[in-house]
Amino acid sequence: MIMSNIINENLIKMELHGDSKEAIIRELAQSIDSEGRLNNFDDYVQEVIDREGLSTTGIGFGVAIPHGKTEAVKTPTVAFGRSKNGLEWESLDGQPVHMIFLLAVPKEAESNTHLKILAALSRKLMNEDFRELLVSAEKKENLMNILEDIFKKALQ
Amino acid sequence: MKIVAVTACPSGVAHTYMAAEALEKAAKELGIEIKVETQGSIGLENELTKQDVESADAVIITKDMGIKKVERFKGKPVVKVGVGDAIKKAVPILKKVQAHIESK
Repeated sequence: MIMSNIINENLIKMELHGDSKEAIIRELAQSIDSEGRLNNFDDYVQEVIDREGLSTTGIGFGVAIPHGKTEAVKTPTVAFGRSKNGLEWESLDGQPVHMIFLLAVPKEAESNTHLKILAALSRKLMNEDFRELLVSAEKKENLMNILEDIFKKALQ
Repeated sequence: MKIVAVTACPSGVAHTYMAAEALEKAAKELGIEIKVETQGSIGLENELTKQDVESADAVIITKDMGIKKVERFKGKPVVKVGVGDAIKKAVPILKKVQAHIESK
């Protein structure tokens, strides 16, 4: 897997328009699909929504990390988007979600690739400066650099 | 003062690591030496050695999930905290543990 490819500028949405969990997941999944990284859009979205039903991925601090590992995914991918208005995500701290990381992982991927990414992201999110950067960065380029760096380190 | 800790959460995907990070950050802030083992879905990472446990003044474990190899801590003062509290209140938790140890 080429690590630097896990995210690219087309997979970053500076402002998402969806007003529900499902709409946001679809919106971000659409960007993954447009990059030719899915085998089946509907199956992937369904998998993510089903997983969400097991336990919320609203981890607090305004962040959600929905994810799906399925045959419907071709290439390991992270898409990132922001929502100014905030979304209800049944977060553990009860706060609305403003930053969403959607992970897409192929079924046959090395089993813990996505777990390593999620672990590294979770740790990083405890850093207030990092959260502030994610919310306030005005250029995609800046976000790209920050995120790429974390994912590279996570998979080393 | 040295503290060892083990974090775990039901899905083992995010909060285990957020709690570990929070405890490490808080310890640094308070000048306490800490080593935090994570028991997440990746498995055990940064595993505590026998020596780590022996040299520790106290053990902090999260209580949302059964912690593996808990018998390592027999005879040590063990503090159980919710993983959510470890994330949000790491500094007060460590301060309390510190005060308790120093009072002995």
